[in-house]
Amino acid sequence: MKIDVHKIIGENCITLEDGQTIFDLIHPKLTAGNAVELDFENVTVLASPFLNAAIGRLLKDIKPGNLNRLLKITNLVPTGLAVLRRVIENSKEYYSNPNVRKAVDEILFEQSESL
Amino acid sequence: MKITLSIPTINDYTTADFDVLFNLWNQVNNDNLDVTFEFSQCNFLRHNAVAFLGGLTRLIQSRGRVVRFAIETISEKVKTNLAQNGFLSTLGFGGAPWSGNSIPYREDLHQDKVILDDYLKTNWLGRGWVHVSEMLKDAIVGRVWEIYANAFEHGKSQVGIFSCGQHYPRHHELKLTVVDFGVGIPSNVRLFFMHDPRAQSLSAASCLKWAFQRGTTTKPNGTSRGMGLDLLKEFVKLNKGKLEVFSHEGYAIIDSEQEQFVNRTTFFEGTLVNITFICDESYYHLAKEVVEEPLF
Repeated sequence: MKIDVHKIIGENCITLEDGQTIFDLIHPKLTAGNAVELDFENVTVLASPFLNAAIGRLLKDIKPGNLNRLLKITNLVPTGLAVLRRVIENSKEYYSNPNVRKAVDEILFEQSESL
Repeated sequence: MKITLSIPTINDYTTADFDVLFNLWNQVNNDNLDVTFEFSQCNFLRHNAVAFLGGLTRLIQSRGRVVRFAIETISEKVKTNLAQNGFLSTLGFGGAPWSGNSIPYREDLHQDKVILDDYLKTNWLGRGWVHVSEMLKDAIVGRVWEIYANAFEHGKSQVGIFSCGQHYPRHHELKLTVVDFGVGIPSNVRLFFMHDPRAQSLSAASCLKWAFQRGTTTKPNGTSRGMGLDLLKEFVKLNKGKLEVFSHEGYAIIDSEQEQFVNRTTFFEGTLVNITFICDESYYHLAKEVVEEPLF
């Protein structure tokens, strides 16, 4: 299944709501084991709320290996790809290791005494 | 009760300039005040002051009170600037704006990605004074969008979000201030950690520092978020820009040489972001990514 992101969302893929739209389209296909291509041709502006909601959240219940096999991202501008890599890195950490999050939060309380 | 507040010359050079604005907010932080702003001591208002005064006006009006601008006290130079950037016409005090070095004053009650994208691309970056490629323009818009996304998602501002920018040709700088009159970043962080008895004593500066770390978010729906401020910070540091954030007593200043989070004495309940970019592509470093590597 190929999804033309520009056709559905437009040239700006930046909001959480638009990310949710894409997530709702691809999540059932991917969990059913079907391959999906997300084509970002003509999409020019990307921001993390969109990428988190559309793609980062997939890591909540789909293993990275399965996503590498099933989800193909094409024609994403290099600056958008850089943001996507960070979003994925962050999501993997978030969903796979809750202790990392707790450690970051604990630093907040420790640092607050000196700030 | 009626009160007259004198607006002095306001720049964005130091935190003292912003304190002038936050002191105005503190003086009108009362439900029973009709306010007159007079400008006899004002020789110049930078974009940060314009965005803030517009928001302050809407905040007072939202309480059912009256705001008056003593137009007769505004010097021709300041009046021209306020007319040019659309401030006077938006607030109902003057005619249509025109193009110049100012980037229009705007008010956004709701998130409208098409209008805001057009504002950033056309009015802010697209006026021929920024010598950058379309791809870099898009990258800058994407990063600046993170400011708006945060304000809309977390700000809880009843009166909306206020922006104004300015091009400063002599310094090759492009500036933008985005301010909301919501609950502020420290309030959201303390609320997020309310299960912890130490949360209420978290300092504003430490809350800001936490908000700028990768992966932190106060959104409690179990979705990984919180990349926005971290990405913006990284972009600004790499590209010789400057980012300042004021929220409650907290102040963050981030540029290529420093990343500081401090507590100040002046309190402002909302959040003000003041961002500076250099208008020359040679200063920028964009990521070169290879898509062939596995993404997940």
